[in-house]
Amino acid sequence: MTTKTTEGPILGQTFIAGLWRENPVFRLLLGMCPTLAVTAAVKPALTMGLSVIFVLVCSNIVVSLMRNLLKPHLRILMFTLTISTFVTIADLFLRAFQPVMSERLGPYVPLIIVNCIIICRAEACASKNGLVVSIVDAVGMGIGFTLALCVLAGVRELLSTGMIFEAKVMPAWFVPWAAMSMPVGAFITLGLLLGLVNKLTKGKS
Amino acid sequence: MSKIRYFIKQSWLLILSSFCFGLLLAIANAAWYPRILQNEKEKLNKLIVGLVSDANDFQIVIEDVNIPGERGKIIKTDIYKVRNAEGKTAGFAFVGIGSGFADKIKLVITIDSKCEKFLGFDVLSSNETPGFGDKIKEKEFRTQFKGIVAGNLEIIKAGEAKNGKVMAISGATVSSESVVKIFNIYIDKITQKIQEAGLD
Repeated sequence: MTTKTTEGPILGQTFIAGLWRENPVFRLLLGMCPTLAVTAAVKPALTMGLSVIFVLVCSNIVVSLMRNLLKPHLRILMFTLTISTFVTIADLFLRAFQPVMSERLGPYVPLIIVNCIIICRAEACASKNGLVVSIVDAVGMGIGFTLALCVLAGVRELLSTGMIFEAKVMPAWFVPWAAMSMPVGAFITLGLLLGLVNKLTKGKS
Repeated sequence: MSKIRYFIKQSWLLILSSFCFGLLLAIANAAWYPRILQNEKEKLNKLIVGLVSDANDFQIVIEDVNIPGERGKIIKTDIYKVRNAEGKTAGFAFVGIGSGFADKIKLVITIDSKCEKFLGFDVLSSNETPGFGDKIKEKEFRTQFKGIVAGNLEIIKAGEAKNGKVMAISGATVSSESVVKIFNIYIDKITQKIQEAGLD
């Protein structure tokens, strides 16, 4: 009974942490490479986010299950082996069922292997906690990452094309800002959003 | 003996996991690879039709042409004959593979029915650096190859791009050179095979 009363809030806090308090993009500044590279439009950002959720959940499950068997000096090797397996599966899946999106994302899907969020969660959470906590942590962090990517991509796609999800939303007089689809747009938008998040969380961390 | 026991004790999980993950990847690959190949085939069809202006249909006319590639490695490719609506030969196409800056570059290259000029090329697959090397996919770079004499090409960084010379992409010289290298490796053997078969 005691376990049930304490586990609920812990799981809730673990889940919420990834969404806001420890958001990988806006609070921990992890996974900056895909954050800047695939956020020119919402569709590729969402695909990247979903791929990261899949890899994060699967790797956290495997790492959590083998946590008591891990040798300290071999753990990073085991994490990398686990992560690269699931990234390859995600890459094969996209190439088979979403070939256009796979091509659009290019090398950034295989590059999930070196995404710091995944190895960070394997080291900080899955290797020290049970299966349920690890899964909840992975889902929370994955959704947090995906939402951050989509917010960034939404702003950039709206300003660079006047569209969201490739549907026209801006009025006819709107002149698209081409720079927002370029790397400069990614840096400016990320900088402004980080400033906004810092302002909102000032004194709360 | 004790060293082997120590090694196994330390690394059994790593060895076992490697086998399990390898098996998992083999299953995923076996399940989805036919679909990936089908996707590539559909893309190839689309690209060939886009490159040869009056293309109506095409078929493989010479299979498994051996091309002496980099470091003496033999690469196999098929030659496609592209026909127009009247059933006449509109050109030939083949897939060329070579090393790029980051990964292999796979191109679809087309030549005219007399094997005298290139009709152009498109990128079937590549993982070149976004913003730099991936500019080989852009029209500005690709149009340089349209109508150029089907022979050995040369990459230049300055000057006028004519008479078999192609201007490199600024900041992506390696990727540009890789594309030209693919053209040069394939073209002689491909034209020779077409002429031998009396297809031109």
